[in-house]
Amino acid sequence: MTPVHFSFSSAFILGLMGLTFHRTHLLSALLCLEGMMLSLFIALALWTLQFEMTGFSAAPMLLLAFSACEASAGLALLVATARTHGTDRLQNLNLLQC
Amino acid sequence: MHPTTLILSSSLILVIAILIYPLLTTLNPKLQNQKWAITHVKSSVKTAFLVSLLPLVIFLDQGTETIVTNWHWMNTALFDINISFKFDHYSIIFTPIALYVTWSILEFASWYMHSDPLMNRFFKYLLLFLVAMVLLVSANNMFQLFIGWEGVGIMSFLLIGWWYGRADANTAALQAVLYNRVGDIGLIMAMAWLAMNLNSWEIQQIFFLSKNFNMTLPLLGLILAATGKSAQFGLHPWLPSAMEGPTPVSALLHSSTMVVAGIFLLIRLHPLMENNDVALTTCLCLGALTTLFTAACALTQNDIKKIVAFSTSSQLGLMMVTIGLNQPQLAFLHICTHAFFKAMLFLCSGSIIHSLNDEQDIRKMGGLQNLMPMTSTCLTIGSLALTGTPFLAGFFSKDAIIEALNTSHLNAWALILTLIATSFTAVYSFRVVYFVTMGTPRFLPLSPINENNPSVINPIKRLAWGSIIAGLIITSNFLPSKTPIMSMPLTLKLAALLVTIIGLLTALELTAMTNKQFKITPTIPIHHFSNMLGYFPAIIHRLTPKLNLTLGQSIATQLVDQTWFEATGPKGVSSLQVKMAKSVSDAQQGMIKTYLTIFLLTTTIAIFLAMI
Repeated sequence: MTPVHFSFSSAFILGLMGLTFHRTHLLSALLCLEGMMLSLFIALALWTLQFEMTGFSAAPMLLLAFSACEASAGLALLVATARTHGTDRLQNLNLLQC
Repeated sequence: MHPTTLILSSSLILVIAILIYPLLTTLNPKLQNQKWAITHVKSSVKTAFLVSLLPLVIFLDQGTETIVTNWHWMNTALFDINISFKFDHYSIIFTPIALYVTWSILEFASWYMHSDPLMNRFFKYLLLFLVAMVLLVSANNMFQLFIGWEGVGIMSFLLIGWWYGRADANTAALQAVLYNRVGDIGLIMAMAWLAMNLNSWEIQQIFFLSKNFNMTLPLLGLILAATGKSAQFGLHPWLPSAMEGPTPVSALLHSSTMVVAGIFLLIRLHPLMENNDVALTTCLCLGALTTLFTAACALTQNDIKKIVAFSTSSQLGLMMVTIGLNQPQLAFLHICTHAFFKAMLFLCSGSIIHSLNDEQDIRKMGGLQNLMPMTSTCLTIGSLALTGTPFLAGFFSKDAIIEALNTSHLNAWALILTLIATSFTAVYSFRVVYFVTMGTPRFLPLSPINENNPSVINPIKRLAWGSIIAGLIITSNFLPSKTPIMSMPLTLKLAALLVTIIGLLTALELTAMTNKQFKITPTIPIHHFSNMLGYFPAIIHRLTPKLNLTLGQSIATQLVDQTWFEATGPKGVSSLQVKMAKSVSDAQQGMIKTYLTIFLLTTTIAIFLAMI
């Protein structure tokens, strides 16, 4: 595996680890999600360059657009949580836990 | 310039100018004299009539027709509209006749409406109507014809609703406008088709170019227009309702001039229809149905004006049949002769109505032969002319039409209907004459019966002369362009006369039965069918608006509100999402960390495997 592949793969795994093992705040999970999106962006851009498919150049931009939508949805959920629970601490989101 | 054409064109333009002049004097804000109606309007119509005799005589002598194009009105890049008048055989003959009839009617109206404070306005409306009618018959392009068409329609509305305090008059005027509008849809469709496909509204160009096209669609539009304006079956109820207007209005508009506008349109544009069988058959069958239906309705009416109105409608159906037979000149001949005796019938009715103190029910008249001899004589002359008594005016046109119908190889059903309608004509004409002039009086003794005023008698006498000799004069001076078939079996030749005599004898028998009761319980349904006008207005006037309004209501409520907004639109989307979210969230148990840890493990192992 080339160093570039290793770097974005490890960035992805690290972001995923951050998302999985988030301890205190919901916002940190969302930030890790953004990091994962960034690594995927780099991956798509590398795809275009490595395979020399100029038609694929638009793909990173599409990913960016959709990740923006997803980030805003996540932030909206954060705000809704803050409104109902008063904070975004994850200990408070245990109403439905059995 | 050759004197003939100079005299012809200038006298025809002068006629229109003479008619418009009194209207221009009303634009003056200074008050006119009280007798403006008589001094200005009647004398202008009389002068216009005398002037229009000059082109008629020139046409008789030399056969000149003329087209006068005055003014290039508007144009787009490819389409011109001019003001142009076509004075051909049809308009040169029709204009003097219309002016003669209008002159008589205006003189009569100066007596009939003399107690009306707004008499000057009434005459102004009549004059405006006449100008629109002359524009219509002399139009050389469809746009000018449409101006005249709409003009006569609007003046009809204003004049029918003259006594607007009366609710019936208002509804009758509205009915006239609505039914005419339905017909106008056909005219506008035909004009649009002509503008799109033939790129012109000039009649000469239309005739020239139409040979390459399938003209069925615009012809059906024109037939729809004629159905609306000339009260053919389907759009006919406005004509008997239009009798709410004053009698001069009924005499001018709804017997001689306006209602023939539809037929005149078809006559003018007849070269388009000559080879189109669909249009000809439609005209034939529609006309035959109209003439029989309205003659049947006329049999049991009790209002004298309504009987004459239905008689007009029946004759219009006959004209439509003639057009369907490919005989536009015969139809035009019938228009001309019909104008005389029908206007006279209306004027006689008006004289009788006023004399009996506004009594219009024939069951309350009677014995007027001795009390109003001149009027009842002219009523009889008019009825005889209407039924086609040999050598009166109606005979030349009606008999020629029935002969043409008999010797054609067209629809036999239309022929039978027309013959039955001809016998009905005799029946209801005799009924009118019997109830009005014969027998003993059934009205109040103190009725102001007076026909001694010259402004009543002179118009009626003039029109009586017209009813007697007009047919002879017109047929002996103007040769037909299509050869009539002269030889036929004796029965066919006498068919019109035979059915008329049969109708008359039947009517005589029926009048002898009026004071005997043969059946204890008479069969009422047939009488009711005829008296209620075939139940047509009763059904259609309620049903059509109800259907339209319920359609609108169901579109607004069921389609828009309940379907688009609730079920498929924004509310539907939101309810669907809520349902899906609810059903999915039941399955989760919220152990996010566990799920994501497994995902992380799987992804890491996959990437390590890819690295190796």
